[in-house]
Amino acid sequence: MIQTGRKHILHIVKYRWIWMALTVLLLTPGIIAMIYSSVTYANHSPLKVGIDYTGGTILQYGLTQKISNEDLTATRKSLDDAGIENPYLQILNVNTEQQGKTKSNIQSIISIRTKFIQKNDDTADKITQVLTREYETPELISVNSVGPTLGKELFKNSLIAVALAFLGIIAYLSFRFKFDYALAAILGVMHDVIFVTGIFSILGLVYNVQIDGLFITAILTVIGFSVHDTIVVFDRIRENLRYYSKKMSFGEIVDASVNQTLARSINTSLTTLITLFALYFWGGVTTKDFVLAMILGIAIGTYSSIFFCSMLVDFWNDKKTATVA
Amino acid sequence: MKNKILMFWFIVIIVITSCVIILNKPTKLGLDLVGGSRLILEAQPTETVAKITPEIMKTLLFAIEQRVNKMGVAETVVQQVGEKRLLVEIPDVQDLKEAKAILGETAELEFKKESKNSEGAIDWVSTGLTGKDLNRASVETDSTGHWVVSLEFNNNGANKFAELTKELVGKQMAIFFSGSEVSAPRVNEPIYGGKAQISGDFSYEEAERMVNLLNAGALPVPAEIVEENTVGATLGADSIEKSKKAGIIGLSAVMLFMLLFYRVPGIIADIALVIYSLILFALFKTIPVTLTLAGIAGFILSVGMAVDANILIFERTKEELRDGRNLFTAINSGFDRAFTSIFDSNMTTIITCTILYLLGTSIVKGFALTLAIGVIVSMFTAITVTKNFMHLIFGTGELKHPALFGLRKDEIGKGYEAVETKREKARFGILD
Repeated sequence: MIQTGRKHILHIVKYRWIWMALTVLLLTPGIIAMIYSSVTYANHSPLKVGIDYTGGTILQYGLTQKISNEDLTATRKSLDDAGIENPYLQILNVNTEQQGKTKSNIQSIISIRTKFIQKNDDTADKITQVLTREYETPELISVNSVGPTLGKELFKNSLIAVALAFLGIIAYLSFRFKFDYALAAILGVMHDVIFVTGIFSILGLVYNVQIDGLFITAILTVIGFSVHDTIVVFDRIRENLRYYSKKMSFGEIVDASVNQTLARSINTSLTTLITLFALYFWGGVTTKDFVLAMILGIAIGTYSSIFFCSMLVDFWNDKKTATVA
Repeated sequence: MKNKILMFWFIVIIVITSCVIILNKPTKLGLDLVGGSRLILEAQPTETVAKITPEIMKTLLFAIEQRVNKMGVAETVVQQVGEKRLLVEIPDVQDLKEAKAILGETAELEFKKESKNSEGAIDWVSTGLTGKDLNRASVETDSTGHWVVSLEFNNNGANKFAELTKELVGKQMAIFFSGSEVSAPRVNEPIYGGKAQISGDFSYEEAERMVNLLNAGALPVPAEIVEENTVGATLGADSIEKSKKAGIIGLSAVMLFMLLFYRVPGIIADIALVIYSLILFALFKTIPVTLTLAGIAGFILSVGMAVDANILIFERTKEELRDGRNLFTAINSGFDRAFTSIFDSNMTTIITCTILYLLGTSIVKGFALTLAIGVIVSMFTAITVTKNFMHLIFGTGELKHPALFGLRKDEIGKGYEAVETKREKARFGILD
């Protein structure tokens, strides 16, 4: 028997159907949300996309007071009256306790999204005027503007990047392991990507969370991390196969390998999650969604490499031996 | 053992060098951290210039550079991205609206003459005399005390101007700037000597801006702003402060976790982590890598991966110890066996980083670069620093205190069953 150093062995192969059912359970809500969004959104996108992909301008003003939802509704109306096209408003409240050494006394940030502001357009001035009327000393702290054609191009490039990353990983894993493993790893990655985008689709529907260029970065990092995790398990299976393939069944080897690497898988994810949670709770407001996407991705990536990918490898092996016999 | 001590001093030297670099070199911070504007300009084809060629982009880049330099802000960046776009970075911009207006303006100066078209209406047609024929422009006042733009032509321009004024005596000549008419004076007599004045009821600021643009040269084609990213200095300072705090909390928590879970090796991993951060920061400053918010996220993530290398090694070493190996052999085989995992998994991360770097926008590029450098450095520190310290601290004997590794005594030495080839036994130093 392979020593795993564990008292309680986690059975991957034996309870295969439980893990499959759990996977379905994890992914279904997100998939439903994405389908619902594709049907209901005007641009038929499964996620609520931000200006990085649609084009538009976001102005952010720092305010020295807290804003209530009523204030926001009033401001939205004033902006409408001033002739601003479809303004979309959001409040980011700054936690004053974390302000620390920064001298600014900004209590909240109001973020206004509107159509792409051209060079000779006075929309920005109009918005500033409205805000100056309604709040004390609003300070324009950031402007983010993307032209509509550029937005489409960014979207296309992002998809190409994801597709290329997939191909690159498949090629590398086929070369270092076997095509079966590469395919299982990629399916695991897709599993993770679908989970994260699904959750963000739900967040888009419920909390109006929009994805931006950083979201794609988060997804690509999750891809890297998930494969990273899966490889450690596969590497162990590959090694154990060399020594034990005559004495033990493939399923037993998979189980043993997963259990041997379990402590590592969980500890690594834990340390990474610790840093990510630090970023989430104490880091800047602007990267919050980005960090959230990575937290979700790394958590699900650990699950998929322990349960989903190893189960797939064993499943295929069963099918193959069945056809041979 | 001699090699180990040599290696130890090598690591010490690297750490000292890194510290010196960190203390002496400034960190390049991105605009989202210090505040400033990042603009993407796109060259627009016109009726006369249907296709944007590399030559046109070169001229455009030069002209835009001239204009940006005129703003008098330090550390500006103008560079070409893709086929027809320019990236302009201006830290600490005072009047963004003005800056944007200056960048987009073609600033083409043209002298035009009247021409009656077929329907008898008056049209202005080009004379061939343009801003290219200028030597320099300056702001002056005329006899009535109004601000005027004074022009000085080069030889070629002076000749053309003399010819033109001779031809147009008694008629109007119009001066167009950036496509709109500035003034249309009547020519009373031919003007020799290559000097002229444009008077158009200018304020001083208007005249000065026109002069600056004329001296910087016209754009070969109009350039439009297709992307803009401006961050105020207060928001930037806030982001730095928060990233620092998050980074320190995150790192300390990870170090504490490693210490509690892996005991003595955990301490070694923590030291390796500090050394890793020092080397990485020194590298960021030497290359130099511009640190942005996304870049900091990449760095923090790479810390996670650096710790992972250590975890893989320790878990493996623990297994070898459980199997009853002595310390030296367990550490060595722990490293060797963990290394394929570390290498393969880091390679895939580097593959995704490369793709991101090639295809991504500049924010994504910063992230990919810091992550890739981090992963490479982490492999180095895991192999050299962690391994070296493990050997130096634990030496070669049997493991007398399993608690140092977070193991229980009864776990040790259950006997080893793995069937290994002779070559592998030799590699791991196993004696039968």
